[in-house]
Amino acid sequence: MTPEAAVTVLAHGVGGSTDLPVPLSYALIGAAWALAATFAVVAVAWSTPRFDPAKPGRELPAWVTAVVDSPVVRWIVAGAAAIFSIWVAVAAIWGPQDSDNALPGVFYVLLWVGLVAISVVVGPVWRVISPVRTVWRLVQVGRRDAAASQGRVQYRPDWGYWPAVVGLFAFVWLELASSDPGSLTAIKIWTLIYLVAMLAGAALFGSTWFARADPFEVYGVTVSRLAPFRRNRVTGRIVVGNPLDHLPSMPVRPGTVAVMAVLLGSTAFDSFSQSATFSNFVNRNDAAIPLVGDSAGGTVLRTLTLLLFVLAVGVTFSAAARAAAGVGRERRRELPALLAHSLIPIVVGYIFAHYLSYLVERGQETIVRLADPLGRGWHLLGLDSGDVQYLLSLNPTLLWTIKVAAVVIGHILAVIAAHDKALRVLPVGHQLTGQLAMMLTMVGYTFAGLYLLFGA
Amino acid sequence: MSRSCIWRIASAIGAAVAVLAACGSETSPPNSSSASQSPSAQISAAAPSTGAEAGTVIDVTVDEGVATPTNAEVQAVAGQPIVLQVTSDAADSLHVHSVPEYIFDVAAAPYQRFEFTVDIPGRVAVELHDLHVTVVTIEVRP
Repeated sequence: MTPEAAVTVLAHGVGGSTDLPVPLSYALIGAAWALAATFAVVAVAWSTPRFDPAKPGRELPAWVTAVVDSPVVRWIVAGAAAIFSIWVAVAAIWGPQDSDNALPGVFYVLLWVGLVAISVVVGPVWRVISPVRTVWRLVQVGRRDAAASQGRVQYRPDWGYWPAVVGLFAFVWLELASSDPGSLTAIKIWTLIYLVAMLAGAALFGSTWFARADPFEVYGVTVSRLAPFRRNRVTGRIVVGNPLDHLPSMPVRPGTVAVMAVLLGSTAFDSFSQSATFSNFVNRNDAAIPLVGDSAGGTVLRTLTLLLFVLAVGVTFSAAARAAAGVGRERRRELPALLAHSLIPIVVGYIFAHYLSYLVERGQETIVRLADPLGRGWHLLGLDSGDVQYLLSLNPTLLWTIKVAAVVIGHILAVIAAHDKALRVLPVGHQLTGQLAMMLTMVGYTFAGLYLLFGA
Repeated sequence: MSRSCIWRIASAIGAAVAVLAACGSETSPPNSSSASQSPSAQISAAAPSTGAEAGTVIDVTVDEGVATPTNAEVQAVAGQPIVLQVTSDAADSLHVHSVPEYIFDVAAAPYQRFEFTVDIPGRVAVELHDLHVTVVTIEVRP
């Protein structure tokens, strides 16, 4: 078989089967719990704000902070990540140029989903392990003038996270809307553009560029607000505390809502696009797109639908956040960004519901492929494809329970966070009514999420 | 109002609605409608022709660049044989996205038979590679 013929369209670019749909009874029970918890929060919960990122938290021993802040440790971790990236690059370029290549698995599973899992448990690690940041630091080592790391041009604050939103959308477009997400060439081109954009931007704006424009860093920082570990704002010590205290520390910048909208909208679109209804729709109508062929027409339809999902999340969330009485025009404009952090638990819950089996099972397959990067039958570390455990797929009941629990817990945390923030930002007397639209919107997201898990 | 009281109320409401939801769902089994979703499906699930062992047989035809069915949905059981009966007027290849994956070379000939089993449950897409269409998605249940 020729290499071209071996390339095929794979779900998420990594192939294999996808999860069985969640049974209706699971979805309904999840929906019932979500609804009940929402009413409980709105009706009987606290009326003074409880959660505050300034709370001291429980301090971990001083050596933990010392180790985390140690430049040596940071260089070692960054170096290990850089070596891993080079390993993947070697596998991508000189490895088997078909679906046995490790690159799609690393890109779509270990990076995109693994980053969420590690960030939500440990914290914003991408800042330390990011290979582009490592390259950037190495470039800086030779230079003595501090001005270079600040950048030649000041990054404009009103750009906020918008460059990262573009990057995140480019990623989900490649995975979900492009004609062949599993194409090694496509992933290599994407990565090359990413590297050029990151390093060129850093040369202009300094390291601020990574914090605002690197899609993986912004993604990681966003979900890391749900991590139990954070820093005491006064002492800088690493503490462990309630994630709901950590959540409001999500920076309020232009584009914050758009980041959430891309993450949530794309995950929902992923479910929807697997349904027979959508595939039939694309097959019937792809020839109707002018100027392009059937295949490109399908890409156009998927792109538009993906954009529609993202816009739907962004518009409904912004509208719901603004639907509060008793606030001035200026304040009303700020409300969506001020409440954006409350979407994080819904995003994380839904990503786990949707991609957990991918992370666990395709992740293992990817590591086995990485143990044989050049397709020569190596078994580094003794890894063999027979070692992969399909625990979740073999126990659908367990997987369904985890999925529904992740969505419902995410929803409950989101409602609690939104309620608490509303007490802070809405004027007394309008706090209950001001939350209603937001609560209904969140119930809508959760019902839609459960429906997609059931139907797709 | 104390915190534990709030949670008690919340759990009581949740449990009550959950019970209602669970009762309601029994009257409408979730899987009955999935096979009828695609109007173009021509499928004989668990056909008697496979002998004593119950399996799933899926007929696929390719005629002048048009595959039948497309985006159909079929149920199967993990570990039991699944048969693709293909009649095609062009060479193509069938990709079965199971774990592990299968690739079958289709010739321009009637009644080609491809048999395989899927051991890991999940939704398995079967694609005609050159035509770029999903013929059928098989729900393999444990």
